[in-house]
Amino acid sequence: MKRNYKFGIGAAVLVAAVGYLMWAGVDQSSAYYFTIDEFLPQREAMAGQGIRLAGRVTPGSLSKKTSAKGTEMKFSVGDFTDEETAPVDTVAVEYTGVVPDMFDEGRDVIIEGTYANGVVLAKSVMTSCPSKYEPELEGQQAAAY
Amino acid sequence: MIELGRQAILIAWLIAAYTIVMALAAAWTRRRDFTASAENGVLAVWGAVLVAVAVLLHALVTRDFRIEYVAAYSSSTLPIYYTIAALWGGQKGSLLFWALILTSISSIVVLQNKQRNRELMPWVIVALMSVSLFFISLLFFITPPFETLAVPAREGRDLNPLLQNYWMTIHPPSLYLGFVGMSVPFAFAFAALATGKLDSSWIRTTRRWTLFAWFFLSLGNLFGALWAYEVLGWGGYWAWDPVENAAFMPWLTGTAFLHSVMIQEKKNMLKVWNMVLIILTFALTIFGTFLTRSGVISSVHSFTQSGLGPFFLYFLALVLVVSLGLLFLRLPMLRSENELDSLVSRESTFLFNNLILVGIAFAVFWGTMFPVISEAVRGVKITVGPPFFNKVNAPLGLILLFLMGVGPVIAWRRATWAHLKRTFAGPVITGLVAGALCFIGGIRNYWAIVSFSLIFFVLATIFAEFYRGVRARQAMVGDSVFRALSQLIAKNRRRYGGYIIHVGIVMIFVAITGTSIFRIEKQVTLNQGESFEIGGYELRYNGLEERDTLHIAYLMANMSVFVDGRQVDTLRPEKRFYKKPEQPTTEVAIRSTLGSDLYLVLGSYDAETRMATILAYLNPLIGFLYWGGITLALGTFVVILPTAATAPAASYVPARGDATETRS
Repeated sequence: MKRNYKFGIGAAVLVAAVGYLMWAGVDQSSAYYFTIDEFLPQREAMAGQGIRLAGRVTPGSLSKKTSAKGTEMKFSVGDFTDEETAPVDTVAVEYTGVVPDMFDEGRDVIIEGTYANGVVLAKSVMTSCPSKYEPELEGQQAAAY
Repeated sequence: MIELGRQAILIAWLIAAYTIVMALAAAWTRRRDFTASAENGVLAVWGAVLVAVAVLLHALVTRDFRIEYVAAYSSSTLPIYYTIAALWGGQKGSLLFWALILTSISSIVVLQNKQRNRELMPWVIVALMSVSLFFISLLFFITPPFETLAVPAREGRDLNPLLQNYWMTIHPPSLYLGFVGMSVPFAFAFAALATGKLDSSWIRTTRRWTLFAWFFLSLGNLFGALWAYEVLGWGGYWAWDPVENAAFMPWLTGTAFLHSVMIQEKKNMLKVWNMVLIILTFALTIFGTFLTRSGVISSVHSFTQSGLGPFFLYFLALVLVVSLGLLFLRLPMLRSENELDSLVSRESTFLFNNLILVGIAFAVFWGTMFPVISEAVRGVKITVGPPFFNKVNAPLGLILLFLMGVGPVIAWRRATWAHLKRTFAGPVITGLVAGALCFIGGIRNYWAIVSFSLIFFVLATIFAEFYRGVRARQAMVGDSVFRALSQLIAKNRRRYGGYIIHVGIVMIFVAITGTSIFRIEKQVTLNQGESFEIGGYELRYNGLEERDTLHIAYLMANMSVFVDGRQVDTLRPEKRFYKKPEQPTTEVAIRSTLGSDLYLVLGSYDAETRMATILAYLNPLIGFLYWGGITLALGTFVVILPTAATAPAASYVPARGDATETRS
């Protein structure tokens, strides 16, 4: 047993190193994750901080402009619950860059960026996954093609 | 036919339940006829599941759109190989496919052990059939694959275009084989714990199975990475997405297990640790399945959210409680017969390798689950992105790389200074020279210099091993170099195959270093005729080309590629618009050369002005990802294939005393 203490020290150093790396890593790369309805009440408090927002692109809100800088997009994002009516509470998003293929009005998205002065400046826009995209299948609907 | 499929699942469920009862009875009473009955039960379950799979495949191939699953994941125009792949394209089919692999493997295990491990087998069957019963229960109660539509669809919705890719057809089966394969060593470990037959026979019996599972897990991860690279169009191949992590974690602990069992075989140490590792690995395969199917972590590409999550958690809890409880009861019988003599020895190098692998697995787990953990602790969901994983894992990965050079060649028990000098002087010098050359070559990124130094250090240790072996053989028998080399490998395949696998892993490190440090990324929006430059290439945008077919409309950006003013290639990154279901997809265009990939994506375009936004990436050394994978596969074949003398037997016959040994 006595000899194992050396190894114990080595292992402890290693565990400490892993712990430190994880602590430092979390500190430097974390972002708050909200759905829109969670985010809206506390948006001013979150100003300037890294956030990830999950929501749905409001139908009719998307505008695009392509220039030499790229494609500038403005749209608003609301929460998922409102299926029929347009959501009342939304937040405006501005983004310049390339969006995933699935991105469109009415699609579920995850926005990464920061919030300032009423607008979320997005660094990246992700859409919820393709294999998640499984619209309910009804005979008529599928037969329509 | 549909009814037949349903009945087959019900029958599989009933027989699986019966088999578990019978195997338990056999374990209790030690009656041979009970064991025989349980063994037949395993085969019968397999048969029933096979029937269910055959019915679903038949329905897919004959486009039977009465079945909801068939209508959801195929169409009458889907090519036949993707139609077959649709078997694992959706939740229900993939669970059925999973059950097929699991019961097939269980049956092979039963057939292999008709004459061997008689005491263990009842418990092995209990473990394997309990897992099978769990999956068959899901198929029967929660996600029945043979559900029919109220009104049969006239046409299917088709397989998601993103999944219509060759990597994606082989990625899931490969991962499933890896995941499911890990249940064999787990089942034997469980049986060893239950019976108290705790010598190393469970490890020797399952060594090939562990390698088999590890092999497919490795390939599954690589195929997934290559799929992401070629299909998803963001220029990279690994994003630390929860779904990727789900498959990576069991690979890490499984790799640790593969190494630490060698210490038990040689030195009768680490018995508890090995048990913990295999239980953990198996639990992580279940956890991984849970992660991808429960929606508990928002992932960019996980399966549909479904009610499956809680069942996986219950099952996981059951697995952990039962197996760790058994382990606890058996602790007194699992004392190590040897101690560590020195920190500078093969034993402790292997142990540190294990700690690092498990440390990486823990960090990946932590990062993946951080939203859940932070919500439980602080009430806010906090996510961590790829930077977290990279920061934590880069240093750990480099230490692992270093140990990969040291571990296989350092002396057992206690390495003397003379031994260290003799073994490592050459490789250390090689590594230092490589680092110096990097510096002279203009590389100022210290991560890269350290990484390349270590890569050459490891390669040098492996080269030295082959060199010494070949020289020794030549001196002894006077063979030619090639003959000596092939004989050397043939005579000691476990050891040299292992080195070949290490070379494959080193190559993957090369790719990771190259792409993560030296990658160039540009996003430009161009008018027709405009050019831009990336990493020595000049690219000119000539305009958009269109093509229309019955099912897909194509839009391509025509890009001329110039090197030093001379045109070397034309690349056409494209957007495809699938008409059914309506969905655009991005098809990247790649120019691969030995040193790097030029990777182009058509990001967006303006239909009126014909302006196009192009994303261009230069991925240095990424080709090593493919070659590393191939090398790794070759090495595994060398280790796993039966020796010439035993060749007529099935290739899965576990190694017994005839297993070639690593040097001691």
